[in-house]
Amino acid sequence: MASVTITNVWKYYGKTVAVKDLNIHCEDGEFVSVLGPSGCGKSSTLRMLAGLEHISAGDIHFGDMRVNELEPKDRDIAMVFENYALYPHKTVYENMANPLRLRGSSEDLIEKRIAFAAEMLEIEHLLQRKPMELSGGQKQRTAIGRAIVREPKLFLFDEPIAHLDAKLRARMRGELKLMQRRLGTTMIYVTHDQLEAMSMADRIAVMHNGVLQQLGTPQEIYNHPVNEWVAGFVGEPPMNFFDCELVEEGGRFVLVHPAFRQMVSEAQSALLRGALRGTSVRMGIRPDQISIGGKSTVESVAGTIKVTEPLGGDTLVNVDLKNAQLLVKTHPDFSGAMGETCHLTFDTGRWHFFASDNGIAYF
Amino acid sequence: MTQNKNATPEGVVRYVEGAKVLDYLPQVFNVKPSSSYYFWLMAPALIVLAAISIYPFFWLIWMSLHNVGSSAGDTFVGLKNFEKLLTDDKFWIGWGLLFKYTAFCMFFEIAIGVLLAVILNGHRFENILVTVFLMPMMMAPAIAGLVWYYLFNSTFGWYHWLMQSLGILGETSIIGSTDTAMAALIIVDIWQWTPLITLITLAGLKRVPRDQLEANMVDGASAFRNFVAITLPNIYPFLLIGIMLRFMDNFRFIDVILALTGGGPAESTKVLPVYLFDVSFVFFKLGRGAAIALTLLIVTIILCKLLVRVFEGPASKRTDMGS
Amino acid sequence: MASRDVVTYKTPLSRLLNVVIVIFLAFYLVWTILPLFLMFVSSFKDLLAAFQLPPVGAFSQIGIFFDFEPTTKHYYNLFYNLGFSTYLMNSIIAAGGSAVVSVVLGSMAAYSLSRVDFRGKGDLFFWIISTRMAPVVAVLVPLYAIFRGFDLIGTRTGLILAYTTFNLPFAIWILKGFFDNVPFAIEEASMVDGSTRFQAFRAILPLVAPGIGAFLVLCVLFAWNDFLFASIIGSGGAKTLPPATRELVQPQNIQWGSIMAAGVVTTVPMMFLGLLIRRYLVTGLTMGAVRE
Repeated sequence: MASVTITNVWKYYGKTVAVKDLNIHCEDGEFVSVLGPSGCGKSSTLRMLAGLEHISAGDIHFGDMRVNELEPKDRDIAMVFENYALYPHKTVYENMANPLRLRGSSEDLIEKRIAFAAEMLEIEHLLQRKPMELSGGQKQRTAIGRAIVREPKLFLFDEPIAHLDAKLRARMRGELKLMQRRLGTTMIYVTHDQLEAMSMADRIAVMHNGVLQQLGTPQEIYNHPVNEWVAGFVGEPPMNFFDCELVEEGGRFVLVHPAFRQMVSEAQSALLRGALRGTSVRMGIRPDQISIGGKSTVESVAGTIKVTEPLGGDTLVNVDLKNAQLLVKTHPDFSGAMGETCHLTFDTGRWHFFASDNGIAYF
Repeated sequence: MTQNKNATPEGVVRYVEGAKVLDYLPQVFNVKPSSSYYFWLMAPALIVLAAISIYPFFWLIWMSLHNVGSSAGDTFVGLKNFEKLLTDDKFWIGWGLLFKYTAFCMFFEIAIGVLLAVILNGHRFENILVTVFLMPMMMAPAIAGLVWYYLFNSTFGWYHWLMQSLGILGETSIIGSTDTAMAALIIVDIWQWTPLITLITLAGLKRVPRDQLEANMVDGASAFRNFVAITLPNIYPFLLIGIMLRFMDNFRFIDVILALTGGGPAESTKVLPVYLFDVSFVFFKLGRGAAIALTLLIVTIILCKLLVRVFEGPASKRTDMGS
Repeated sequence: MASRDVVTYKTPLSRLLNVVIVIFLAFYLVWTILPLFLMFVSSFKDLLAAFQLPPVGAFSQIGIFFDFEPTTKHYYNLFYNLGFSTYLMNSIIAAGGSAVVSVVLGSMAAYSLSRVDFRGKGDLFFWIISTRMAPVVAVLVPLYAIFRGFDLIGTRTGLILAYTTFNLPFAIWILKGFFDNVPFAIEEASMVDGSTRFQAFRAILPLVAPGIGAFLVLCVLFAWNDFLFASIIGSGGAKTLPPATRELVQPQNIQWGSIMAAGVVTTVPMMFLGLLIRRYLVTGLTMGAVRE
């Protein structure tokens, strides 16, 4: 096992830059997820870790060992590919045995390791089948099995469950997390699905356009996004944003928007005071931090219901404010017809403030 | 964040739409590791290919500028070999005959081949019939020429007897008359290569999008309209490939002609490559032959350029995994 | 599940059309097979029997075609008097040798070309395919001059090299298409598993093996069926079956029985090979441009 240190790493493909000045340190045994939309450089990062791409600039260390010039076979890593990359002409058993065979392991050891992995992944009954005869989930388990028989010092997972159906994906999330905890192997997991990242990883590295935006625990990323982009990317349904003015009134800030006027909490005012540049800000609030009701109160804001989307467990409500729209996530028995007036109450302590010029979070 | 401040000049970090953007370049690039592995893997093939294609090509140019094989040794003659071609009737007639031969072959092969493909497509016996039909293609063209030479023989050829009995021909064999010898060559080419057009067209027909056909049917098209409006445009790229390939092959091979007529009678079937063969390997005027070969090569290369463009068309879209 | 073909409805016209189609197919079938059949039967005919024809117009006497005593003496004659066992051997060695050389070198080159990008790759491909498409006679002229200098005329080595001029570009071109279809991820997985890059190349070979095998067979077929190279470059010591057969045609005393027997000997193995690789035939014969 080993820690992973990525230092000022760049990746160029000709003239296009895929990864820019990346710095990530990942502790031994940690589960780090690299999250970002497609084309953000997350796969390139993983492939550089695997040694499948050359590093244009910078260094990668596994523990104390610099691996820049090491071939994949000498890095002692295991990787699970997006499309599984199973050897179609080999059985499940042979697929899993391949990495051990290449290292000259004894048949006894191979058998033992495969038995262990197969039991863990519940694929013992499939060992003599060929990939063609497997379902997507079974192929994926085989690919994971091939990775774990090695007992490598680092796992690299490249969107391994992206092509499974939703139900199986949900189940695999739990299983993968459990597996990583049991094995205690350092894991770097690339995904574009925030649910996967949030639910499994110890820490998440959010990337966009080749640049690391934020690295932190799921809670940090969710509760304290460092900039507007991260705030908008993480969270489903996405955060609502408003362009507002901040006016100081009696020692506290007041948030002024054409559609509403709200007091900023004592604590957040104190945080803003030193940092604030200018008076305009972008305010962000998550849909589940707004409550919706039929009755008006002192703090509530009036809006018109545009459409409601009952999701079973929750209901999403699209609300029209004066020249703005927002999304509210509320309890399932909320009923409100299209065009009805509703009253929204913001959870004022949970607001996010971003500088309106560059989108950096104030706190 | 563990962003290294030393490597991040603050002035060039920007934020666009709320996301961090870096505009500066890394200070130190790693030395690019060599990708010579792939080069070494392809080197043997490229060296062999160069030795047997580029080297001979320059030889050909050299030969075309010399009087090769004359008693005085190889003497430089400049462009004389080419000048002579300008006034060489057989050279120009050869080109004419080559295009005539190719055009006729192509016309009949496309017409019959496509018709056959449309009939065979989805036919109960499609598979076995196609397999039988492609047997002539496996035959060496020289052997095919000899077999047809036998069939066309005026004294004991069964096909000659048949044509005579049907009143198409008289006593003279089809390959014995300047009027009909070319037709004999075209018949053999049709016999051997129409199935190729059929195979290509069939592959195209299988690729005609079924939903387009069905949408057109629901819109009210007859089967014939459907064929013209949907099927033909869809198989067109395939036909183009077939045409190009047959065109090239008619330029490439003269085996049938050598076996069947040898360019005769009275040079009525002496297409350019046959003339080239005669000049070079019957009269051994290799310098002149080289000049003719160069013109033939240049025309072929131009055709090849077209062919490659056709190859990159929609027909070459991969549909299988290749295994 | 939808039906396999687009539905058709029966009309009187389509019934009539069906009859026409059957007649056409029957005619085409006879047209295709008859020359092969006549060749086959004639190879077992005595010289006199081969010359028998009914009088012009006497269609009722077609039966005399079958009126003969089958003899295998032409085959015997081929191999014991005319030296065809040598020619057969020449054919096998020249065609097989060039196919193996082409496919081995070609698959290595095709793999690299499929996996790496560089400037001028398009030009390189154009060169490769135009080498394949060059008219055989035009290639033959300089090749003859060069081979004469190296004493390669009339040798099997010379013939193998000559066949490689069209088989190697064919193999590179078509195998590249094959390797393009193999996901790169499989080699990457293999490399992560601990193989070297050459082992990774070997790891994907089983995936393309059927294709490589089929195109090896096609290379054999192209070389086997060649006449021009064999008659000029192979003349003397390395005569193969097609020119040897052609030489049986003499101004006097054409040995038709032997020619037909030689035709059968040359053609039958290729037909079997053709059937063997039926799946890849269209791809092969269209230089990979059309896939079934």
